[in-house]
Amino acid sequence: MHRVAITGAGVLVPPDLDETALWETLAGGGSVFRRLRALDTEGYRTRNGAELDDGALAAARRAAALEPADRTSDILMLAARRALDEAGNPPGEGMGALVGTGHGAAFNLAAAYAGYFEKGHRGPRPSSVPRSMANTLSARLSMELGLTGPNYVTVAACASSTTALIQACRMIRHGYARRILCGGVETPFEPVYFSAWDNLRVMSPAADPAAACRPFDRNRNGFLLGEGAGALVLEAREEALARGARVRGELVGVGEASDATHITRPDPAGQARAMQAALDDAGLTPADIGFINAHGTATRVSDPCEAKSVRTVFGARADSLPVTANKACFGHLLGASGIVEAVVTLLSLEHGAVPPTASLAERDPECPLHIVRRRPAPLDIPCGMSNSFAFGGNNAVLILRA
Amino acid sequence: MDTTAVLERLREVMRRSAQKTLDWEHLDADTPIDALGFDSLAILDLLYDIQQAFGVSFEPEDLMKVQTVRDLAEFLGRRTA
Repeated sequence: MHRVAITGAGVLVPPDLDETALWETLAGGGSVFRRLRALDTEGYRTRNGAELDDGALAAARRAAALEPADRTSDILMLAARRALDEAGNPPGEGMGALVGTGHGAAFNLAAAYAGYFEKGHRGPRPSSVPRSMANTLSARLSMELGLTGPNYVTVAACASSTTALIQACRMIRHGYARRILCGGVETPFEPVYFSAWDNLRVMSPAADPAAACRPFDRNRNGFLLGEGAGALVLEAREEALARGARVRGELVGVGEASDATHITRPDPAGQARAMQAALDDAGLTPADIGFINAHGTATRVSDPCEAKSVRTVFGARADSLPVTANKACFGHLLGASGIVEAVVTLLSLEHGAVPPTASLAERDPECPLHIVRRRPAPLDIPCGMSNSFAFGGNNAVLILRA
Repeated sequence: MDTTAVLERLREVMRRSAQKTLDWEHLDADTPIDALGFDSLAILDLLYDIQQAFGVSFEPEDLMKVQTVRDLAEFLGRRTA
């Protein structure tokens, strides 16, 4: 069985942060939310979010000489290119492209529907099918980057890109692929999609963008959505070493399990099963884990549930185990959240520090975990767990080691 | 609409539909459409865009005799007459 090395990472996080800038923001306890400009939110319950800056995005496209196609796949392409550049642009022959997304090419899909509702059955453009099918995203990576391994999309709501990483990990371990470009992307500010989220009443209605999304805080009242993408290059460790690539870390354990209970309400037993599965897969015990990058969505129901599942698995170790929640900084990237948070987990291992949970003011006794706040906590054990728990009840857990 | 006016408009529709850098301003009306680089998918989008722009409806089969940009302009001239 092959060990799975990480040789490249790339992110595009609002307003226009790359990996380095993202780490600085996280470590400084900052956040990137603002009053949304992508759409008119007059009368909406939630008016804030983390959105990419249009000007910066245009500049990034130009700098990368990227032929614009649509917002979602462009963002993914930019993150993917960063990851591949960092990995030293290994040959695309045999390299796979697995992408996680919750809603896919949201704008293309909306345009097809708008065509139908405005003009009837001749309204949707003929190319609406290839442009709006979920796997249009992995297909673009494969075609434009010349990746000849398998390309497809994994869809599991907020665990989508985590699931892509889990699939890729297993494929590399067992020799089905030597190298896979994993990606995750979400563009939730397409108006229909965002309106539906607003009506679901899981986002914070707080007026102040900087204080709205507060995972594990006693006064939390929901998350804010974020737009962005992340990418990681995974490869068989001996292949990476043989070509002289820099190995930044390893994906040593993966676990997944379903709640099998409710479509939106999380269940601690399902989450605990996924965490335990990841530990078992890695051959590790709770004492071997240095910190947890929590799913931490800041809803009333979700955070106590995660606290309970962590305590189920980690027992007394949970008293001192540092836990952080990145969504306090850049919001809920939905399908992209797992891979971007995996990049942050990797950065934490490299910096030997767990970034604080921005905006955490008052701990909640219903979430009895050691949540890092205000300043980074030193990381004693170079091994981190990253959790993604999805609508639909799929729980996906990664363990990364430096 | 006379053929010149149709040609002018057609050039613009083709330029937008193709989304690629071709010298549309100097596009010769006698250029075969096949030579413009539209693949089988892009040609469907082009026909869609033309129908939207000119407010006409036709089937791809109606274009059996259309070879050049001028043929297409004349076809559209008849349809919009």
